[in-house]
Formats: sequence, structure tokens, C-alpha cells
Amino acid sequence: MRWLRFALLILAVTVLQKGLLARWSSKPDLLVILLVFFAIYYNTSEAIISSFTIGFAADLVGSPMPMGPQMISFGLFGTLLAYLHRVIAIKKMPYQALAIFVTSVLTGVLTHLLAYITGEPVAANIFAVVFVTSLYSSIVGPFLFLPTAWWMRIKMSRFSRR
Amino acid sequence: MARKQTKISRRMLFTWFILTGFIFLFAPQNFTSKFQLAFVHVFRWPLSIGGNLALTARTQQPLTGTVGRSEIQNRNYITTLEETLDEERKKFKKLYGLYNTYVWEGTDFALADVITAKVEGSRNELTIACRKTNGLTEGQFVLGDNSIIGTISDVSSRTASVKLFTDPTSRIAVKIGELDIKKWMQGNGNNTAKIPLVSIQHEIKKGDKVIARKNAEFLDGPVIIGRVARLKRDDKDPLFWDITVEPACDIEQLEDVAIIIMNSQK
Repeated sequence: MRWLRFALLILAVTVLQKGLLARWSSKPDLLVILLVFFAIYYNTSEAIISSFTIGFAADLVGSPMPMGPQMISFGLFGTLLAYLHRVIAIKKMPYQALAIFVTSVLTGVLTHLLAYITGEPVAANIFAVVFVTSLYSSIVGPFLFLPTAWWMRIKMSRFSRR
Repeated sequence: MARKQTKISRRMLFTWFILTGFIFLFAPQNFTSKFQLAFVHVFRWPLSIGGNLALTARTQQPLTGTVGRSEIQNRNYITTLEETLDEERKKFKKLYGLYNTYVWEGTDFALADVITAKVEGSRNELTIACRKTNGLTEGQFVLGDNSIIGTISDVSSRTASVKLFTDPTSRIAVKIGELDIKKWMQGNGNNTAKIPLVSIQHEIKKGDKVIARKNAEFLDGPVIIGRVARLKRDDKDPLFWDITVEPACDIEQLEDVAIIIMNSQK
């Protein structure tokens, strides 16, 4: 893993998510897309580190939600996806889209559940928001894998199970 | 000399990270929110550029017959003035002979630029860059296009968070239209708010103005906050209205806001 490139990528995407995309009502979650990318393209140890780091970045721009829920949920499901990828290779775009959708729904639900435990209110439309965001992410996500792979200097044929 | 490489097992790595996550989760929020505000403060320039790009992309030319933003501003200003005048008349009647002060007298405003806006979705918040931070505290009301949009929820050096009145944790005392009854407006998320427990005996109609009531600490007079967007009988209790309120201005389009600072030392 090229960690400097990883840090720059996460920083840029985090700023993009908080600045440009924040004003859109329905938008993809770019950080979840990256979570799935690193979970299926890198080895398990790197996937664990990147999942928690992306979760931390999501928490940084998750205000007014408290910090912590996204770090835990991204880390947990990123790690699970990395282990799952050792058994089932997620090669084709429809499977990648499905992986993004399921991961996005699970991280969204766990994030709001953890926030609720700490006393945060849960809005009535939360499941609709999570569903729509997951849907957008799964549509856009697989197309972003190619530029991300180029930036991270990895070959797209790198789909081997680890 | 060969470099000694420390090997950490995946299980250990996972345990340490998840522990860190739980420490953040259960740490006091006023402490962890400083990290969030610090991030926005450090990256305020690219964040505001991104926000402006989004605004430019979303801004459409007003069609003939539609209400423009400046017209909304003027309408909100006039409504607030009318309410203030009405309030002042009532005061004048009560305190016979006493000359009341104008609503904004003794009030200062802190102007701030909007860095990020989270208007849709489950939580509604603005992050703003304040040009002056003297006198800013939690709970102060924030004006956007001459209408109340929310209250200050967190302040750090030159950056602050605004909890919009549509956020589910927001609760503001309001009055509806001409009715002189005090009700609490609760944020609903997704850029709307609800006013519960209003009896159907009260005559309310769609489009009625919703006014933030004066508050001894932070607001010295009534100011428009929104308008009744939807009105129907409550499904759970048909003796009450189910009132949905929308902001009096387009919060997504705001580029700057003003914080009301009462009793400031000029």
C-alpha cells in the first residue's frame, strides 16, 4: 500500500464529501465506496487499517453526529468484507455494486444505532436516507474504482484472493 | 543492518482500532466536536469552494411568476417588522405611557460565512466562519435572509456550528399566524419541522407564518422562522393538527448568516 497516496486520496474525498456533496439532498457516500475498494483490492491487514482510517475521516465530517460510530461501523464491516473477499472474489461490476450497497446499508444502520445509544436522536426518515444513499453509492461506486486504482498505482487485474 | 520489522497480528490491530472507536464514542461530545470543527477550520477554503460550486450548479434562473430570493428576503423582513410592530403596540397598551425600545436596540450582529451546509437528511447543520467571535455563545439565534434559521450549537476559534431549527434535536418556542398561543416547534430532519399538540379548534391554514417567540436570554422580539407547509389532522390523535413547517428562506442557498448577540457591550 502506498500510504501517502492513500492519505491524500482520503483527505481529498473527505473534503469533497463535506464541501461539494453536502448541499445535495441525494448523494453517494464516497467514503463507503473507498471502504469497499480497499477491502477488496488490498490484503486483510491493510484493509483493516484503511477501513478504520476511512471511518475516522467520515466521523470528522459527520458533525453534528458524535465521533466514533462511523469509525466502529466502517472498521467492522470493512474488516468483515476483507475476510469475505478471501472466500468469495468480488470481481464483476454488479457484484461490486452489490457489495457497496450492502456495506453502505449495514454501516449506515450501525452508525445510527451506535449514535442512538449515546443519546443522539434518530430521525423518522433515517431508513429512507440510508437506502437512497446506498443506492446512489452502488450505482456510482464501481465506476470510481478505475480512477482510484490508477491513483493508487495498482493494476485492475489484481483481483486475487488473499 | 537488516531492519527489524514489528509484526502485529490482525486480531490485535482490529482490537486496538475498535477500542479507539469506542473511546471516541463515549468521550464527551463537546470535546470530540472540537476535532470536527478543527477539521472544517483547517480546510475551510476548499470546503467553501466546494459549497460555492454546488450552489452555482444548483442555482437556476427564476421563472416568470416565481418568487425570487430578494423578494423572499423583503417579505421576511416585512413580516418580522409587522410582528415587531404588533408586539410593540401590545406592549404600549400594557405599559401605558412608557416608551418601549426598538426590538434590535442593544443588539449586535456577528456576520459569518457559510462553510458547509447539511440541510437535507437526518441531521441539519451549518458550519460557519465567523468574522468576529467576541460574545458568541451556545444558544444564540442565527438569522439567514432576515429569518431565524437556527441556534449556535458549538463555538471554536473563528468557526461555529449552527443547529438548524429543522434538526431533530432542536426545540424552539413559536407562535403560529395570528394565534397568541405558545407552542414548541421540534425539528423533523429533511429541512422541515413539526409543531405538535395544537388543537384543531385553532384556525390554521397552509402558508401561515410561524414566528419565533422572544426569549429573555437570546431574542428580544418576535422574528419570522418559517411557514406552515402542510396541515392535516394527526393520525394518532385526530383532536390535534399535524403541522409541518418549512423555513422562511432557502437555507441551502445561504452564503452568509448573522448571529444575534443580545446585550452586547458596544
